[in-house]
Amino acid sequence: MKNKTLIPAFVLTALSMTFSAQAHDSKEHMKNAESPDCAAMKDMDHKRMNKNDPVMQAMMKKCMKHMDHGNDMKGMNHNSSVDDSKEQSDKQHSGHQH
Amino acid sequence: MPTFTAFIKSLFIIAIIGLIGGGLFIYSGLYPMGADVPHNKLSYWMLETLRERSIARAASTTQVPDDLNTSDRLLSGGADYNDMCAGCHLEPEVKENDFTIGLYPSPPNLTATPKDHGHEHSRSSDEHGKDAEIQRQFWIIKHGIKASGMPAWGPTHSDERIWNMVSFLQRLPSLTKEQYQILTARGQDDQ
Repeated sequence: MKNKTLIPAFVLTALSMTFSAQAHDSKEHMKNAESPDCAAMKDMDHKRMNKNDPVMQAMMKKCMKHMDHGNDMKGMNHNSSVDDSKEQSDKQHSGHQH
Repeated sequence: MPTFTAFIKSLFIIAIIGLIGGGLFIYSGLYPMGADVPHNKLSYWMLETLRERSIARAASTTQVPDDLNTSDRLLSGGADYNDMCAGCHLEPEVKENDFTIGLYPSPPNLTATPKDHGHEHSRSSDEHGKDAEIQRQFWIIKHGIKASGMPAWGPTHSDERIWNMVSFLQRLPSLTKEQYQILTARGQDDQ
Protein backbone atom coordinates (compact mmCIF):
# COMPACT_ATOMS: atom_id res chain seq x y z
CA MET A 1 0.00 0.00 0.00
CA LYS A 2 2.81 2.35 0.88
CA ASN A 3 4.59 1.61 -2.42
CA LYS A 4 1.44 2.46 -4.38
CA THR A 5 1.48 6.03 -3.08
CA LEU A 6 5.25 6.44 -2.91
CA ILE A 7 5.98 5.49 -6.52
CA PRO A 8 3.60 8.02 -8.13
CA ALA A 9 4.82 10.69 -5.71
CA PHE A 10 8.40 9.94 -6.66
CA VAL A 11 7.58 10.00 -10.38
CA LEU A 12 5.76 13.32 -10.08
CA THR A 13 8.63 14.84 -8.13
CA ALA A 14 11.16 13.64 -10.69
CA LEU A 15 9.06 14.99 -13.55
CA SER A 16 8.67 18.39 -11.93
CA MET A 17 12.44 18.59 -11.41
CA THR A 18 12.97 17.65 -15.05
CA PHE A 19 10.65 20.41 -16.28
CA SER A 20 12.50 22.97 -14.20
CA ALA A 21 15.77 22.00 -15.90
CA GLN A 22 14.61 22.83 -19.41
CA ALA A 23 16.70 24.98 -21.71
CA HIS A 24 17.25 28.53 -20.58
CA ASP A 25 15.00 30.80 -22.65
CA SER A 26 16.29 34.24 -23.55
CA LYS A 27 12.80 35.61 -22.85
CA GLU A 28 13.48 35.14 -19.15
CA HIS A 29 15.74 38.17 -19.39
CA MET A 30 13.03 40.37 -20.87
CA LYS A 31 11.76 41.40 -17.43
CA ASN A 32 14.66 43.80 -16.83
CA ALA A 33 15.44 44.53 -20.48
CA GLU A 34 16.68 47.99 -21.36
CA SER A 35 16.33 49.62 -24.74
CA PRO A 36 19.35 50.42 -26.87
CA ASP A 37 20.58 54.00 -26.69
CA CYS A 38 20.43 54.63 -30.42
CA ALA A 39 20.79 58.38 -29.94
CA ALA A 40 24.47 57.65 -29.29
CA MET A 41 24.82 56.57 -32.91
CA LYS A 42 24.23 60.14 -34.10
CA ASP A 43 27.48 61.20 -32.47
CA MET A 44 29.44 58.50 -34.23
CA ASP A 45 31.38 59.39 -37.36
CA HIS A 46 29.45 57.37 -39.90
CA LYS A 47 31.82 58.27 -42.72
CA ARG A 48 34.53 56.32 -40.94
CA MET A 49 32.33 53.34 -40.29
CA ASN A 50 32.77 50.32 -42.50
CA LYS A 51 29.31 49.35 -43.69
CA ASN A 52 30.50 45.79 -44.16
CA ASP A 53 31.55 45.54 -40.53
CA PRO A 54 29.16 43.18 -38.72
CA VAL A 55 29.29 45.44 -35.63
CA MET A 56 28.02 48.37 -37.70
CA GLN A 57 25.41 46.16 -39.34
CA ALA A 58 24.24 44.84 -35.99
CA MET A 59 23.90 48.33 -34.53
CA MET A 60 21.91 49.49 -37.54
CA LYS A 61 19.62 46.48 -37.26
CA LYS A 62 19.08 47.05 -33.58
CA CYS A 63 18.36 50.75 -33.94
CA MET A 64 16.11 50.42 -36.97
CA LYS A 65 13.99 48.02 -34.98
CA HIS A 66 13.75 50.27 -31.92
CA MET A 67 13.50 53.73 -33.32
CA ASP A 68 10.95 55.66 -35.32
CA HIS A 69 12.54 55.54 -38.73
CA GLY A 70 11.21 58.92 -39.76
CA ASN A 71 12.38 60.97 -36.78
CA ASP A 72 15.20 59.60 -34.67
CA MET A 73 17.25 58.34 -37.62
CA LYS A 74 17.05 61.80 -39.24
CA GLY A 75 20.60 62.77 -38.34
CA MET A 76 22.12 59.62 -39.77
CA ASN A 77 23.65 59.27 -43.22
CA HIS A 78 21.56 56.58 -44.85
CA ASN A 79 24.13 56.15 -47.60
CA SER A 80 26.12 54.15 -45.11
CA SER A 81 23.24 51.77 -44.52
CA VAL A 82 24.02 48.15 -45.17
CA ASP A 83 22.35 45.90 -47.70
CA ASP A 84 20.75 43.45 -45.32
CA SER A 85 19.43 46.11 -42.96
CA LYS A 86 18.13 48.00 -45.97
CA GLU A 87 16.36 44.88 -47.14
CA GLN A 88 14.79 44.39 -43.72
CA SER A 89 13.84 48.04 -43.55
CA ASP A 90 12.21 47.85 -46.98
CA LYS A 91 10.05 45.00 -45.82
CA GLN A 92 8.87 46.98 -42.84
CA HIS A 93 8.53 50.35 -44.57
CA SER A 94 7.37 49.63 -48.08
CA GLY A 95 7.80 52.58 -50.39
CA HIS A 96 10.31 54.28 -48.08
CA GLN A 97 13.17 55.44 -50.27
CA HIS A 98 16.71 55.96 -48.96
CA MET B 1 76.00 -4.13 -5.11
CA PRO B 2 72.22 -3.89 -4.68
CA THR B 3 70.27 -6.32 -6.81
CA PHE B 4 67.57 -5.25 -9.23
CA THR B 5 64.95 -6.79 -6.95
CA ALA B 6 66.18 -4.73 -4.00
CA PHE B 7 66.04 -1.62 -6.16
CA ILE B 8 62.43 -2.30 -7.15
CA LYS B 9 61.51 -2.98 -3.53
CA SER B 10 63.05 0.35 -2.52
CA LEU B 11 61.09 2.18 -5.19
CA PHE B 12 57.91 0.47 -4.02
CA ILE B 13 58.53 1.47 -0.40
CA ILE B 14 59.26 5.08 -1.42
CA ALA B 15 56.02 5.15 -3.44
CA ILE B 16 54.01 3.83 -0.48
CA ILE B 17 55.56 6.39 1.86
CA GLY B 18 54.80 9.12 -0.68
CA LEU B 19 51.15 8.06 -0.93
CA ILE B 20 50.75 7.88 2.83
CA GLY B 21 52.45 11.23 3.26
CA GLY B 22 50.25 12.80 0.60
CA GLY B 23 47.15 11.35 2.20
CA LEU B 24 48.16 12.64 5.61
CA PHE B 25 48.77 16.10 4.16
CA ILE B 26 45.34 16.14 2.51
CA TYR B 27 43.55 14.98 5.65
CA SER B 28 45.48 17.39 7.85
CA GLY B 29 43.64 20.33 6.24
CA LEU B 30 46.85 22.34 6.28
CA TYR B 31 46.60 23.54 2.66
CA PRO B 32 44.74 26.89 2.60
CA MET B 33 41.59 26.74 0.47
CA GLY B 34 40.35 30.32 0.94
CA ALA B 35 39.90 32.25 -2.29
CA ASP B 36 41.75 35.13 -0.65
CA VAL B 37 44.97 33.09 -0.31
CA PRO B 38 46.68 32.52 -3.69
CA HIS B 39 48.20 29.17 -4.56
CA ASN B 40 51.95 28.82 -4.16
CA LYS B 41 53.90 28.99 -7.41
CA LEU B 42 54.23 25.22 -7.81
CA SER B 43 50.53 24.53 -7.23
CA TYR B 44 49.58 27.41 -9.50
CA TRP B 45 51.81 26.18 -12.30
CA MET B 46 50.51 22.62 -11.99
CA LEU B 47 46.85 23.66 -12.00
CA GLU B 48 47.29 26.21 -14.79
CA THR B 49 49.21 23.78 -16.99
CA LEU B 50 46.77 20.96 -16.32
CA ARG B 51 43.81 23.20 -17.19
CA GLU B 52 45.25 24.68 -20.36
CA ARG B 53 46.61 21.41 -21.73
CA SER B 54 43.34 19.66 -21.05
CA ILE B 55 41.26 22.36 -22.72
CA ALA B 56 43.60 22.59 -25.72
CA ARG B 57 43.35 18.84 -26.28
CA ALA B 58 39.60 18.66 -25.79
CA ALA B 59 38.84 21.70 -27.94
CA SER B 60 41.12 20.76 -30.83
CA THR B 61 38.40 18.84 -32.67
CA THR B 62 35.75 21.57 -32.40
CA GLN B 63 34.46 22.63 -35.82
CA VAL B 64 34.31 26.40 -36.14
CA PRO B 65 31.33 27.62 -38.21
CA ASP B 66 32.16 29.52 -41.40
CA ASP B 67 29.58 32.22 -40.65
CA LEU B 68 30.84 33.16 -37.19
CA ASN B 69 31.33 36.86 -37.88
CA THR B 70 27.78 38.02 -38.69
CA SER B 71 25.56 40.75 -37.28
CA ASP B 72 22.83 38.33 -36.19
CA ARG B 73 25.28 36.30 -34.16
CA LEU B 74 26.65 39.48 -32.57
CA LEU B 75 23.19 40.61 -31.51
CA SER B 76 22.21 37.25 -30.04
CA GLY B 77 25.55 36.60 -28.39
CA GLY B 78 25.86 40.13 -27.09
CA ALA B 79 22.54 40.05 -25.29
CA ASP B 80 23.40 36.72 -23.68
CA TYR B 81 26.86 37.96 -22.70
CA ASN B 82 25.40 41.00 -21.00
CA ASP B 83 22.87 38.90 -19.10
CA MET B 84 25.00 35.92 -18.11
CA CYS B 85 28.69 36.82 -18.39
CA ALA B 86 29.30 40.53 -17.83
CA GLY B 87 28.88 40.16 -14.09
CA CYS B 88 32.19 38.32 -13.90
CA HIS B 89 33.89 39.08 -17.19
CA LEU B 90 33.05 42.78 -17.22
CA GLU B 91 31.98 45.26 -19.88
CA PRO B 92 33.78 48.17 -21.58
CA GLU B 93 35.19 50.79 -19.16
CA VAL B 94 34.56 48.56 -16.15
CA LYS B 95 37.86 47.35 -14.76
CA GLU B 96 36.77 45.32 -11.75
CA ASN B 97 33.86 44.43 -9.49
CA ASP B 98 33.19 42.30 -6.42
CA PHE B 99 33.37 39.10 -8.43
CA THR B 100 36.66 39.81 -10.16
CA ILE B 101 38.19 40.80 -6.83
CA GLY B 102 36.72 37.98 -4.77
CA LEU B 103 36.91 34.99 -7.10
CA TYR B 104 40.09 32.93 -7.35
CA PRO B 105 41.21 32.40 -9.98
CA SER B 106 39.94 35.79 -11.02
CA PRO B 107 37.68 35.61 -14.09
CA PRO B 108 39.52 37.06 -17.10
CA ASN B 109 38.47 40.51 -18.26
CA LEU B 110 37.04 39.63 -21.66
CA THR B 111 36.83 43.27 -22.74
CA ALA B 112 40.62 43.09 -23.00
CA THR B 113 42.48 41.14 -25.66
CA PRO B 114 43.73 37.67 -24.64
CA LYS B 115 47.25 39.05 -24.48
CA ASP B 116 46.18 41.88 -22.18
CA HIS B 117 44.17 39.73 -19.77
CA GLY B 118 47.01 37.24 -19.48
CA HIS B 119 45.54 34.36 -21.42
CA GLU B 120 47.30 34.46 -24.74
CA HIS B 121 47.27 30.78 -25.51
CA SER B 122 47.86 30.74 -29.23
CA ARG B 123 51.44 31.73 -29.93
CA SER B 124 50.87 32.66 -33.54
CA SER B 125 48.70 35.38 -34.97
CA ASP B 126 47.86 33.34 -38.05
CA GLU B 127 44.55 31.68 -38.85
CA HIS B 128 45.42 28.48 -37.00
CA GLY B 129 46.13 30.39 -33.83
CA LYS B 130 42.93 32.36 -34.22
CA ASP B 131 40.93 29.17 -34.71
CA ALA B 132 42.50 27.66 -31.61
CA GLU B 133 41.41 30.68 -29.59
CA ILE B 134 37.86 30.42 -30.93
CA GLN B 135 37.73 26.68 -30.23
CA ARG B 136 38.96 27.33 -26.72
CA GLN B 137 36.29 29.96 -26.04
CA PHE B 138 33.53 27.68 -27.31
CA TRP B 139 34.73 24.74 -25.25
CA ILE B 140 35.03 26.74 -22.05
CA ILE B 141 31.55 28.27 -22.40
CA LYS B 142 30.01 24.90 -23.18
CA HIS B 143 31.80 22.76 -20.59
CA GLY B 144 32.88 25.23 -17.93
CA ILE B 145 35.96 24.70 -15.78
CA LYS B 146 36.03 22.59 -12.63
CA ALA B 147 36.40 24.35 -9.29
CA SER B 148 36.74 27.77 -10.90
CA GLY B 149 33.31 29.37 -10.78
CA MET B 150 32.99 29.10 -14.55
CA PRO B 151 29.76 27.20 -15.18
CA ALA B 152 29.04 24.83 -18.04
CA TRP B 153 26.43 26.52 -20.18
CA GLY B 154 26.09 23.54 -22.48
CA PRO B 155 23.39 21.74 -20.48
CA THR B 156 21.08 24.77 -20.77
CA HIS B 157 22.12 26.37 -24.05
CA SER B 158 22.35 25.05 -27.59
CA ASP B 159 25.64 24.99 -29.50
CA GLU B 160 24.26 27.65 -31.81
CA ARG B 161 23.63 30.00 -28.94
CA ILE B 162 27.10 29.38 -27.57
CA TRP B 163 28.63 30.09 -30.98
CA ASN B 164 26.76 33.40 -30.96
CA MET B 165 28.46 34.25 -27.68
CA VAL B 166 31.83 33.30 -29.11
CA SER B 167 31.15 35.56 -32.08
CA PHE B 168 30.48 38.42 -29.69
CA LEU B 169 33.57 37.66 -27.60
CA GLN B 170 35.73 37.97 -30.71
CA ARG B 171 34.59 41.57 -31.16
CA LEU B 172 34.15 42.60 -27.53
CA PRO B 173 37.70 43.96 -27.01
CA SER B 174 37.15 46.45 -29.85
CA LEU B 175 33.74 47.76 -28.70
CA THR B 176 33.21 51.15 -27.12
CA LYS B 177 30.82 51.51 -24.20
CA GLU B 178 28.17 52.99 -26.51
CA GLN B 179 28.51 50.21 -29.08
CA TYR B 180 28.31 47.61 -26.31
CA GLN B 181 25.11 49.13 -24.93
CA ILE B 182 23.40 49.13 -28.31
CA LEU B 183 24.46 45.61 -29.24
CA THR B 184 23.55 44.04 -25.92
CA ALA B 185 20.31 45.80 -25.00
CA ARG B 186 17.46 43.38 -25.49
CA GLY B 187 14.62 45.86 -25.43
CA GLN B 188 11.01 44.90 -25.00
CA ASP B 189 10.56 44.16 -28.70
CA ASP B 190 13.44 41.76 -29.05
CA GLN B 191 12.95 38.01 -29.06
